[in-house]
Amino acid sequence: MNFFDFFNMTMPEAADIGSTVTSDRDFFATVSPRDIFIFFVAIIIAYILGVIISHHIRVRMSHRLKKDQLDILTGIIRVVLIIIAIGISIPGILDLSVTIILIALVAVIAIIGVSSQKVISNMVAGLALLYESPFATGDFISTGGVSGTVVSVRLFSVRIRTTDGIYVHIPNDQIYSTTVSNCHANVARRYVYSVGIRYQDDVKKAVVIIGKILEEYTFILKNPAPSVFVSDISADSVILTIRAWFPSNWKLTRDDISLSTEILPQIKEALEAAGIEMPYAQRVVWFANQPTHFADTTSRQPSESRLK
Amino acid sequence: MFGRYELGFSYADPEIRIQLTDNEGRVKYERECAGKTESRYLGRTFSAIHVHPVEPVNLPEALTNFLELSFPPLLLSPGSSQIIYLKFPVETGVFLESGEKRDLLDIFSLAPVKFSLYGSPSSGVITRWYYSDLYMDIPVTDKRREGVMTLLLKNSGTETATISRAVFDGASMCIFYGERVAMTATMEIHSPSIAHTTFSDTAPADCPNRAIDLYLSRAFSITTGKGYFMEAGTI
Repeated sequence: MNFFDFFNMTMPEAADIGSTVTSDRDFFATVSPRDIFIFFVAIIIAYILGVIISHHIRVRMSHRLKKDQLDILTGIIRVVLIIIAIGISIPGILDLSVTIILIALVAVIAIIGVSSQKVISNMVAGLALLYESPFATGDFISTGGVSGTVVSVRLFSVRIRTTDGIYVHIPNDQIYSTTVSNCHANVARRYVYSVGIRYQDDVKKAVVIIGKILEEYTFILKNPAPSVFVSDISADSVILTIRAWFPSNWKLTRDDISLSTEILPQIKEALEAAGIEMPYAQRVVWFANQPTHFADTTSRQPSESRLK
Repeated sequence: MFGRYELGFSYADPEIRIQLTDNEGRVKYERECAGKTESRYLGRTFSAIHVHPVEPVNLPEALTNFLELSFPPLLLSPGSSQIIYLKFPVETGVFLESGEKRDLLDIFSLAPVKFSLYGSPSSGVITRWYYSDLYMDIPVTDKRREGVMTLLLKNSGTETATISRAVFDGASMCIFYGERVAMTATMEIHSPSIAHTTFSDTAPADCPNRAIDLYLSRAFSITTGKGYFMEAGTI
């Protein structure tokens, strides 16, 4: 009997099928200790086989796949082996025909599929993430407004630890359908800083001082070389932009704050030691009845004296 | 400074101080180098320490396995070969002896550290970068700070090659010590953009002692050891 035959049957015929299923009363009478023994032996063999295959996969594939990918792959293999073992041994116990097993399986899959679409979509997204591997355990990623270190990548979800120690659990389908920025996908990453200096300060001198700090800083890469340049002449200051590359796997590149606390204080200290200062915001206020020559005589005075 | 030392050992110069003392059964290791100190108590199972030069890719933290030596550009005609000498930074490893086993205790260095990127950010590697002048004879070095690499350059390509840097895999380094710290390597240039670097495990005459391989002492399984393919050029 195939599936089409089953669905084309009349109700009485379908009822007859039920007679092929062993009733509860007959169950214990028909199941022999040998059947139960075979069931458990099949499960144990599948388990042991799963462990052996997993071990071999880990040994042979560890240089090709990341740890979380190996975990998922070996997990799937072990579950499949257990299901096969159950599939082989259960019909013997329950005395079911293959047709009934298949019908039951389809029904169960249909019920699970309808009732847990989200779970299925998460699982499919998990397999897609496993295949594409946009990130791995230990990477620092940003996705959907959350930034942190990936703690684990599982079949249904990804777990992230943010820099302030918060544990975040993100469903796989959510990650798969949104943008993910991985700070560790490439071996080096560039940081950009802005430093404002006063108008009267020597820009070339400031560039040389900052360049020297960048050159001497161990973790700023020699190549690509760091750069310092005037990027803006704003209302209150001359803005110097600093671009420097760092190794992605350096611990301080885990978040921008750690790196800033390491670099920026050194730059500020060196600039101040050379007489170059960070400017205060300044506004020149002109009064309507102010004499025209006043501007010429006081143009280089601090704003407070001009207001007096 | 390099060698095997037992309890009571003490070494001191203006920049480095190492001491292994036994104070009423408490074995203490103390080290001072370039203003940084390290101090640890050791278990009774350790009978001695070994002070050896190690692969210079560990400090200030293990970010890379690769050493990049940069030097003034050298032009090499097709089919020719030449031996040059380069200085490389020395990192000193202190190993604990426990029977046949050697466990890493400490690493320190007097050489400056700078990192670089060889290749592109997406497919390149981070390297420990070091600049050396180019020497045609073995240069004099302070072996606590710098070693000498004998580098055989072979241009097996069909074009004149310009070489100004060499990248080496730390996992296949063979370091020797004696009157100096030494490594012997070969760089075969296949084309202006591809070269292959390998190390020789033959000790130079003046450096008969083989240093402990840090990678072996860490019980890493070395599957490579076949050198490094420089696929991002030699300039």
